[in-house]
Amino acid sequence: MVSDRRYLNNFFYVLPAILMFAIFTIYPFIKTFQLSVYEWDGISPTMKFVGLKNYLEIFSDRLFWNSMLNAGIITLLALTFQNMLALLLAVIIDRGVKFDKFFRTVYFIPPILSGVVVGLVWKWIYDGNYGILNTILTHIGLEKYTTSWLSNPRTALVSVAVVHMWKGFGWGFVILLAGLQTIPRELYEAAAIDGADSFKQFWYVTAPLMLPIFFVVSVLTILGTMQIFDLIYSMTRGGPAGATEVPISYIYRYMANNELGYATAMAVIFGLVLFTLSILQIKISRKLRKV
Amino acid sequence: MKAKYLYMLFLLSLVLLTSCGRKKGNLQEIVIWHWMTDREEVFNQLAKEYYELKGINIRFETYAPSDVYREKVRAAAQGGLLPDVYSPLGDQRELASFINAGYIEDLTEVMNTGWKDLFFESVLQQNTYNEGNEWKVKPGIYGVPIDVVSIQIFYNKTLFKKAGINPDNPPTTFEEFIAVCKKLRSAGIQPFVSGFGEEWLIDVFSKSFEYQILGEEGIIKTIKGEIKYTDPRWITIFELFEKMRNEKIFAEGIITMINKDAERVFATEKAAMALNGSWGINVYSGMNPQLNYDVFLPPKLTNAKYPVKIWVSSSFLNVNPKSKMKQQAIDFLKWLTENKQQITLAEKTKNIPSNKNVIDAIKYDVLKKFAANLDKSFPTLPVMENWKVVGTKCRGIQSIIIGEKTPRQLADELQAEKQKLLAELK
Repeated sequence: MVSDRRYLNNFFYVLPAILMFAIFTIYPFIKTFQLSVYEWDGISPTMKFVGLKNYLEIFSDRLFWNSMLNAGIITLLALTFQNMLALLLAVIIDRGVKFDKFFRTVYFIPPILSGVVVGLVWKWIYDGNYGILNTILTHIGLEKYTTSWLSNPRTALVSVAVVHMWKGFGWGFVILLAGLQTIPRELYEAAAIDGADSFKQFWYVTAPLMLPIFFVVSVLTILGTMQIFDLIYSMTRGGPAGATEVPISYIYRYMANNELGYATAMAVIFGLVLFTLSILQIKISRKLRKV
Repeated sequence: MKAKYLYMLFLLSLVLLTSCGRKKGNLQEIVIWHWMTDREEVFNQLAKEYYELKGINIRFETYAPSDVYREKVRAAAQGGLLPDVYSPLGDQRELASFINAGYIEDLTEVMNTGWKDLFFESVLQQNTYNEGNEWKVKPGIYGVPIDVVSIQIFYNKTLFKKAGINPDNPPTTFEEFIAVCKKLRSAGIQPFVSGFGEEWLIDVFSKSFEYQILGEEGIIKTIKGEIKYTDPRWITIFELFEKMRNEKIFAEGIITMINKDAERVFATEKAAMALNGSWGINVYSGMNPQLNYDVFLPPKLTNAKYPVKIWVSSSFLNVNPKSKMKQQAIDFLKWLTENKQQITLAEKTKNIPSNKNVIDAIKYDVLKKFAANLDKSFPTLPVMENWKVVGTKCRGIQSIIIGEKTPRQLADELQAEKQKLLAELK
């Protein structure tokens, strides 16, 4: 039993952390909800209460839902290709290759780079006037496939998604590799004695034991990708003609135009969507684990 | 027990740290926030001169890029931390919000002592509110223009010559413009570039046609909802972009290009013409000092009812009414707009001075051409189109440029957006 005095002492130790959390997390969270029911330009000393008007408008805002769809497409691409690449590389490194430490370092470089810097570098690569991608395509005889990658509405979203996946696969790689290394080697030896080839070892040993890790990586991928902004802002600014607009860039557009009420209402709805997705994933993960 | 004392010590140090402030002593100081990185050096030089003259320290603080600056100013306004002199760096609607909230000093009285006569009227109008303005701002003059910028079409004389076009005879009409573009294209040269990834530049180009076809009155009527965006005149404007697309005048990737990239394309001679501001003179001289260029006005439409108008703006500075150094700040701004300081600013930054008395001191021929057309400025309107409608228009023009929309579709979409906003207002 902890005495009251001791309890109070302990409380004082965590007080700074609580204060920080309250000021920088709880207060902005409450303030966002509060602002979402007002009309406010961010400058005037007075705000106009509008109730649920902002929320009702969002439901018929085609551009907002279109931006959700764009983020959803990038997320789907990331969930499949980015995570598959991360898993493949993690399995290869886990099986033991030469210079594994070097590769681990190299794969983790893109995630730690600044999103804006990565965006600007890739913008140059994709550039229709002097981009290296078009130069390479021309040199290998594929000139007919050259295009202005970021200005063509048919290629812009996928081009941004490729950069996002390139930048993000390192995270999944590190987490998946850590998970793979917790699997006892004896299980693989036993499976090999039973005649399981590499694929069967992966399917019957690695995959079931890695299921919780797969879900962690998936949740992180969904949350990280749906909130994509820095790459979009530095590469396309949501263009061409809204083809790469994502929720955060759309919210930013309203913020920049001093419509804080509507912008925060969108942020609340977007937050709820992400929250729901995460809860759903966790529930599915639990059910699958039981199976 | 020891831990408890340590904890108390930690709290005490926090209190001490937070109470640490800037100690000014007897030094009189005016703090000016700005976003003009290219003017940083000359501002500091002028600040030094002013200190030697009056003993008042002028501290210029630069925050860039401009959107970062804007956010800083807005946050500072909320926190009551605005400096002595700054600019909200927004349109008339945003400036009005700052004025109505009491964050900007009314300079009418001091301007009427003869100060306002120094400036181009069309420029000063941008920080002036007249009777009956839609934002209900008290009529008056609220800002001090430091220098002037304007947008026209730059063209590369060498590339014109290469395409068999007389470089001393740039196009004046839309037909001539298209003909020149065709010649350039057939010579393997990209005709036209601009930062159309930034919506405001599309708006500037579009407006140069809008004013010719609709005139000031027509534009005001459209904003008020009395002329629809589906009006044939608006469709004609959008058709111009369709025509330009069909004639392949636009450079590769123009619709996602920010202006910095467009400037690079023009400076590296990958496009022959560029819609850009007078600041381009400084930018191009840095990127390619050998670039041989000149400027011309946006093309005149043959059947247009009204003359060609161009975008003219100014870097304004506004005074914080709550500043303890308010009067000194106004005195400094007066000094900054005097002939000698304006010449220094113009020489160092290659911008047009806001003081019209020193316009002859401009050394660069291209800049002189910009200065000669300041009277053709888009007028400052008493009403302003909603940013969502402007955004829809600009994104729609982007869609026309890439062939995703027709002028008619854009007109319908714009009208739908406008009607929605008008219904909300009602």
